[in-house]
Amino acid sequence: MILIHCPYCDEKRPELEFTYAGEAHIARPADPSTLSDEEWERYLFIRANPKGRHNERWRHSFGCGRFFNAVRDTVTDKFETTYKAGEPRK
Amino acid sequence: MADALLRCEPVPAAPAAYSGVTITLAPPMRRWSLRAKSRQALETHLGLSLPRKIGETLGDIACLGPDEWLWRAVDVEPKETGAGLPLSVVDVSERSVGIILEGHAARAMLNAGCPLDLERFAVGRMTRTIYEGVEIILSRESETRWSVDVWRSFAEHLLLSFTTVARNR
Repeated sequence: MILIHCPYCDEKRPELEFTYAGEAHIARPADPSTLSDEEWERYLFIRANPKGRHNERWRHSFGCGRFFNAVRDTVTDKFETTYKAGEPRK
Repeated sequence: MADALLRCEPVPAAPAAYSGVTITLAPPMRRWSLRAKSRQALETHLGLSLPRKIGETLGDIACLGPDEWLWRAVDVEPKETGAGLPLSVVDVSERSVGIILEGHAARAMLNAGCPLDLERFAVGRMTRTIYEGVEIILSRESETRWSVDVWRSFAEHLLLSFTTVARNR
């Protein structure tokens, strides 16, 4: 089982306590009504889906309940680091 | 409220003894969910000290998250619920059922469904975690005594799971 470091609890906890929540650092457009359908589609559905280093959101659902961000390698499934929500991209 | 505190279904009130572990219903208690961005605001409001670190307990209060505390005690009633203030004090007494597991095999039994490293789980610690897909709040009251708080609707399933593990050890 993978152990994931929760930046709020500040300890490594078992993967089963966490929920994956998609790519991180995707900002909601400030004024969605001015967007074209293509731009809105890009915001809603189009993701980087990289092979390798990926910034993603996780939630410590069965723990402190907080969302945070992580850098994980999608090839090796290794977590490089985790950091609190709101902190700049790592 | 007095009636509500006596509610124990679906956990039977009589203790069940198995080899190495006894499963008992926890004594009736009040539960308060305390939420605030600022710990100091809650401390001032309640006139109490709150634990600082997630997982720590101070008196009857445990810190479950960066802005969340759980206050469990037999007979407590905060004077004010904090209306109008940037905090919330909510009575969640009826939401969960408490189950006590006691005995030298209790830790091994819990580890049958909980992925935490319970050997290194210090006495006095309380945390939210998972047991076979069910959200629980787990605390270690002594070396061999564990308390599990579970939402009432999941209690029947959890208890069945506990007794199955206990019986098959």
